[in-house]
Amino acid sequence: MRGKLSKMSEKRNIRDHKRRLLAAKYELRRKLYKAFCKDPDLPSDMRDKHRYKLSKLPRNSSFARVRNRCIFTGRPRSVYEFFRISRIVFRGLASRGPLMGIKKSSW
Amino acid sequence: MSFGSLKSLVAEAAIRGVTEARANIFGHVLNPTGQRSSHKILRKKLIGQKVAEWYPYDIKKDDPLVMARQEQERLNKLEMLKRRGKGPPKKGQGKRAAKRNK
Repeated sequence: MRGKLSKMSEKRNIRDHKRRLLAAKYELRRKLYKAFCKDPDLPSDMRDKHRYKLSKLPRNSSFARVRNRCIFTGRPRSVYEFFRISRIVFRGLASRGPLMGIKKSSW
Repeated sequence: MSFGSLKSLVAEAAIRGVTEARANIFGHVLNPTGQRSSHKILRKKLIGQKVAEWYPYDIKKDDPLVMARQEQERLNKLEMLKRRGKGPPKKGQGKRAAKRNK
């Protein structure tokens, strides 16, 4: 099923993947700087220095820039985090069977 | 009224003692005045690894033949379009770029 990957969604997914890798790489440092900035007990010039350093980190290493896309279609909206697929693909797959334990509910 | 305040004072002291002892035993970080502290940021777990593993690995990447064939197909398609005159325009000629440069 994953043989049919259109080109447009691939590009977006590649970009998002790059952002994820960067975010994972810089995460520790980022947290450290942020924590230092916000600590009220430190002297003000140290806090400014850390704030400056935090601003110098690459923008793509922010977690806010990462978006959970569907891994099949690249759809950025209505993607279930549990399956990592969008609602359309989910519906198709669930009816066909490969999703373990998913069936149409009626009660 | 003084009885009430005395009793509440004693109760407060007792509670404070208990919380301090608990923090001592279990290693909690106390903030009785509620000032801003960096503890809130530092106590969260690291999520970077999980975030980076969102997209599954494409097994087609392991086979260089398949990758070469796909790349060849892509180039063929591009060439076909160019032959028909439908390929991508030169730099500075696209719709938006032309509008900007005009």
